[in-house]
Amino acid sequence: MKILMFTWEFPPLISGGLGMACYGMVKALLAQGIKIDLVLPTKELVYFPMREESDVDTLPVIFLDPLMHKEYSRHKFETINERLEYIGITSQPQSYFSLKEIRQYAASVKKHYWLSEVVTDEEQDLWDEMTTNLIGDEDLIRKVQEYTLRADRFARTLDYDLIHSHDWLTYPSGMLAKQISKKPLVVHIHATEFDRAGGPGDERVHKIEHAGMTYADKVIAVSKYTAQMIMSRYRIDTGKIRIIHNAFSLPVDTVLTQERIFKGPTVLFLGRVTLQKGPDYFLDVADRVLKVHPEARFIIAGTGDMSRHLLRKSAAMRLKNRFLFTGFLNRKQVESILRAADIYVLPSVSEPFGISPLEAMAFGITSIISKQSGVAEVVNHAFKIDYWDIDLWAETINHLIENPEKRIKMGIEGMQEVNRIQWDEAAEKIRHLYSTMLAEYIRRPKN
Amino acid sequence: MLNIIFYFQVHQPYRLDHFNVLDIGKNRNLFDDKLNGLVMRKVAEKCYLPTNKLLLELIQQSEGRFKIAFSITGTAIEQFKLYSPETLDSFKRLVDTGCVELLGETYFHSLAFLYDTNEFLDQVAMHRDLMQKEFGYYTTTFRNTELIYQDRLSDLIYEVEGFKTIVTEGVDRILQWRTPLYAYKNYSKDINLLLKYYQLADDIAFRFSNRDWPEYPLTVEKFVSWIDHLTLGETSGKNLFLNLFMDYETFGEHQWASSGIFEFMRHFPSEVLKRPHLGFANPKDTTHLANYQQESLSFPEAVSWADEQRDLSAWLENGMQKNAIETLYELFSRIKQKGDPELLRIARLLSTSDHFYYMCSKYFQDGDVHKYFSPYDSPDQAYTYFITALAELEERIMG
Repeated sequence: MKILMFTWEFPPLISGGLGMACYGMVKALLAQGIKIDLVLPTKELVYFPMREESDVDTLPVIFLDPLMHKEYSRHKFETINERLEYIGITSQPQSYFSLKEIRQYAASVKKHYWLSEVVTDEEQDLWDEMTTNLIGDEDLIRKVQEYTLRADRFARTLDYDLIHSHDWLTYPSGMLAKQISKKPLVVHIHATEFDRAGGPGDERVHKIEHAGMTYADKVIAVSKYTAQMIMSRYRIDTGKIRIIHNAFSLPVDTVLTQERIFKGPTVLFLGRVTLQKGPDYFLDVADRVLKVHPEARFIIAGTGDMSRHLLRKSAAMRLKNRFLFTGFLNRKQVESILRAADIYVLPSVSEPFGISPLEAMAFGITSIISKQSGVAEVVNHAFKIDYWDIDLWAETINHLIENPEKRIKMGIEGMQEVNRIQWDEAAEKIRHLYSTMLAEYIRRPKN
Repeated sequence: MLNIIFYFQVHQPYRLDHFNVLDIGKNRNLFDDKLNGLVMRKVAEKCYLPTNKLLLELIQQSEGRFKIAFSITGTAIEQFKLYSPETLDSFKRLVDTGCVELLGETYFHSLAFLYDTNEFLDQVAMHRDLMQKEFGYYTTTFRNTELIYQDRLSDLIYEVEGFKTIVTEGVDRILQWRTPLYAYKNYSKDINLLLKYYQLADDIAFRFSNRDWPEYPLTVEKFVSWIDHLTLGETSGKNLFLNLFMDYETFGEHQWASSGIFEFMRHFPSEVLKRPHLGFANPKDTTHLANYQQESLSFPEAVSWADEQRDLSAWLENGMQKNAIETLYELFSRIKQKGDPELLRIARLLSTSDHFYYMCSKYFQDGDVHKYFSPYDSPDQAYTYFITALAELEERIMG
């Protein structure tokens, strides 16, 4: 079975939550004998043929253009990063098309949007919804446009049985590939615009999400929480939705032994500093806890559009040198900060899944997670609190600071629990879904 | 007679390295030695060495009639020794002429006066010792960091043996109808006060190379004629003092050599000395040159020479600056209790006012000046490194 997979993130270079999930999932799918051609937002027109488990770490590359591939094969690269730099993928993918190229390309893609046989009015509506909303000049929208324009080449050139798209950024590509190849499409919901925006969000993104989910043959939701969200907010046919929880596997070379940075209790927020993740609740909780336990330290690990606001507010609240910011951390640095933490908190306003608490728990850190998260469905050895209940967050942290034995015991139990949540199980469910879809595809009525 | 009093501030801070939470507890150096060395060598080459050479020639040519004063911070002297010893030697040669007065200040160019009186007095004493040791000079005129002054400062300085004069900013809201050309007394009439004539001082320090300024280019003749004009109002024979105080880095660093600033300075003393009613003096000379009853001035609120407001807002306005400095002075008292000289040294290097200046977020005209002088991308970044360094310092105190 061969999958054409579109995703926006994949480690080592883009390793947000989506990237980490894709890594674990692809690796486990490969172990099940599934072959995957991975398309990422690269500068060059390349894909990553994943055939064996080890490929997720070595990332083999093939250029669509055979001449360019020949040229590439002649290069010797010292490190994987050097190689990835050659094909043009950075932690913040830059624009990889000139405007002129886009115009030329758009003309050819338009042919497929409009001239191909559109079966029904409903289908036509979905195309309209997607194309009219994929218009704009903001950075991200433009990058998605570019990525989508190129999906055409992949969809035509590669050989595959099924298409798998992760999150709205790659839904248009998935739709295009399905249109061209007539192969079944599964879209994977790691987060919706409602989660990311912590409110209504961008109308166009909603429309693209809706079009993608409706056009797809199956929809994977990473949690019950997310499944409910897409049923109630996007009115997606319940029969199409499969809930497959994310899992978490630590990279093999991870060092777990605790290595303190601070003598006092250390409370960690790890993730993007955006409204969705609830960093402002973390600040209010810190303020309350520090009044009782001035020896504690609160660390914000990560960056985001709320970093500056939070920094200035923490200073204005006079939290002294007790509320600190690490800025952006790479993978190794994330591990260092995890090894230094005693208590992990995830106060997300809306978290479709939330892999980072699993990681924290794998390090044996006692975790407190928002009830408004998918991860709360899969772990028992963690405290679960409504994100807005600041008093309870503060009380819980105080309690854990005052009872170190209890805290450590809970940490160990959490660690054991997380070690049982492996990607193999999730991959098995995905493989099963693929098989069902293929069977349905083969048996589909021809017209 | 109008006496021109030049005083130049010579200061370099120990800039903080990009200190991260993950660096804590590793006994890492907090300061960016590489950058500090780089800046010192650059400024020495562009400003200190050529200007010292020029001023030495001018003093020699004028046969002692050209006089200047310096205030050189302890952190600058230390970094001369580390990165540019020839600069320190050239200052010594200038002081040896006898035409140069050295002023007293806080060794670390700190804001300790506002937060910790004992620490302030310690740093003042350290600086006086340093001037004696390096230059054999006993300071009798005091300037507080960035010309920050308020009545309480004169009380403290009066208590320190030997200080007779304090220099500060000629702030309009204090002077009102008065001119900064007279020597004044502090509110209790114990200390001699000299006030910066900021209009003319800033013509050199800030506007000299500004092509949008209507008076551009500033020629020596024009500038001396303005000075000449100032003497017209005084008909009863009282000695006037024109206090031109500025950063020494004005020469060659803030105003580049290509602006003609060195040529301006080269011809300025001779043009002044052509006129019998104009001359140069040192701040300490004013105690006996003031041939009149000196009016006393009260400064209930702190003033400074920074920005349009000439108050403390360049260092102590936003929450980041206040949280940072309050946390620092809390640590001072804990370090002193513990009695650890190494940690005290670090706290003192962190007390240098520049660290708080970099955190200034007043983003209008003055904010640009702050940005120009900051080694960091933003006030937020400066704050982050500083507050993280204070966490490191605190962990060391507990360790």
